Amino acid sequence: MPTLKPSHTEVAQIVPSGQLRRLGVEEIKPSASNPRLLFDTPQLAELKKNIAEHGVLVPITVYQPKGQQKFSILDGERRYKCVLDLTNEGHTGKDGKPVKIPANIVEPPTMIAGLLYMFSIHNFREQWELMPTALSLKIVMEELGTTDNFALSKLTGLSERQIERCKSLLNFPERFQKLSLDPDPATRIPSNFWIEALPVLDLAMETAEKTKTLGRDGATDKLVEKYRNKKIKSVIHFRRIMESYDLSEDDPALRAKVVRRIDQFFLNPKTETREAFDEFSVEKKRVQNAIGACEGFLAQLKRFKLKYTADDEERNTLRGALREVRDYCDSLEQALAGGDDPEVPHD
Amino acid sequence: MASVGKWVKQLKTKEDQKLAWMLLDKVIYLSETETKKILLHQNAALMENLRKATLKPNKLIYVSTDDAGSSSPMMLSMIRNAARLEQRGCKFLDSRDAFGINRVTKKLQEGAIIYIDDFVGSGDQFERSRTFLTQSVVGNFSEFILVPSICEEGYAKLNGMGVTVYSGHIHAKAERPLHQHSHLMHSAGRERLIEICKDIRPNKSLGYDGMATMVVLYRNSPNSIPAILRGSDKQAPFYGLFPRFKDLPLNQ
Repeated sequence: MPTLKPSHTEVAQIVPSGQLRRLGVEEIKPSASNPRLLFDTPQLAELKKNIAEHGVLVPITVYQPKGQQKFSILDGERRYKCVLDLTNEGHTGKDGKPVKIPANIVEPPTMIAGLLYMFSIHNFREQWELMPTALSLKIVMEELGTTDNFALSKLTGLSERQIERCKSLLNFPERFQKLSLDPDPATRIPSNFWIEALPVLDLAMETAEKTKTLGRDGATDKLVEKYRNKKIKSVIHFRRIMESYDLSEDDPALRAKVVRRIDQFFLNPKTETREAFDEFSVEKKRVQNAIGACEGFLAQLKRFKLKYTADDEERNTLRGALREVRDYCDSLEQALAGGDDPEVPHD
Repeated sequence: MASVGKWVKQLKTKEDQKLAWMLLDKVIYLSETETKKILLHQNAALMENLRKATLKPNKLIYVSTDDAGSSSPMMLSMIRNAARLEQRGCKFLDSRDAFGINRVTKKLQEGAIIYIDDFVGSGDQFERSRTFLTQSVVGNFSEFILVPSICEEGYAKLNGMGVTVYSGHIHAKAERPLHQHSHLMHSAGRERLIEICKDIRPNKSLGYDGMATMVVLYRNSPNSIPAILRGSDKQAPFYGLFPRFKDLPLNQ
């Protein structure tokens, strides 16, 4: 029966109970790509010092895949890594023998349980290539029959924003998804390309008559071609297109011009994003005004001295209003996040 | 391939020529027949062990770890045909096909991933391929590599990763006369040969990571062999007995 582990969220409920043994490091197979080892060196050093002094106090959880001599780690990669380092440095336990690791040996997890557990680790590496995570999320959605962001977030430990981004990737046909699974970073299309391109494609299919004739996949091919030919120098530049369209909302003539430019952008391989759309969004004052508004809003709120408001009705109304502001600010802040694939150099 | 006599005579002195003969004597050549024999033998042993672990052939995924046309896909093709693996229900993939790996492992849910190559040196290249591949694996899969020859450095690395090695030959540092940990040759002779290698290829004179390996394969030579065996880039001014494909001039 699965047991609840206190150190993790709901995800850890998949870790079953098992038989306790003491294993040498040579009996254990490390995880192929556990990102936590890359990140938290100071904490790892602290843990190593602690283990050198007291040994491993909390058992790791391992299982043995069929045909494999070594035990694979389900939980406890950092403890294993510390003991491995200590062993390599010649450190021994109080008995003078290499330090052993107490391990809870469990049955191999089911595919879905293994995936959910890996998600609990993967949420530490937001800057990693997202496509493999998206493919795993697809399996979770299919197996568990849910596409609800909140439920998936609780299950996987991924943020709702990450889930939304994964879903954006899954919107594209497999042949495009494959381009983000290219082992060579120089030729790989970064996942962020698809995420940033998605609203542009939606817009083009809705408004740009000539681009529509290419069909959605044809239009996507055009964008890939442009990216490869450096006519899209940063995936963030896709936002220029969306910004241009948004800003022309109250000006039909300008809107028509933006739509024509979108057609030109898709159909002319030589047209570069900023060249095509900078003229529609060169006005920097908007952002400066928004920053001023944020500062003014904060200063004004502080001046009102609201922290000790006593009236129940007023407090509740104010809290509701603040929540509304917070939700909008959160969504805006998240929409402004993002960037190019860190491994791919850009001009 | 250049004749041995002509190759040796590129060295000016009798002493240098004698050293070259001594080095040549330590080359470990793996012919096509031998490579095939080792792969088949090791594969049979592995499949038998997996059978005992209740993994049937249809749960086994054979993976080539390098670009098409290079050694790993050739080895995969060889064993696939010779051991009739396809007819037995085994799966075959390229480690670059992340989508395929995701799809096949999702379908099988458990099994074994068996990497195939003809030689593993430091294990660095293998590690890169495997790290990329494992991102897309779902389910429980044990990992193995079938390789006719593997260096002790690569063996240690793969063992640390938890990839079980099935190999016909573990190439020890002691078997490599120009390796600093080897005592196969007197130090003056070794120093002289290292000097010659540096003249031929100032960079990587003893091959990748200074490994100075002595295994030569019937298809190609590893990039870890000493320059005196491999020759100069484009095989001029010094041509090697065992050049790599990419070392050859374009007209050959």
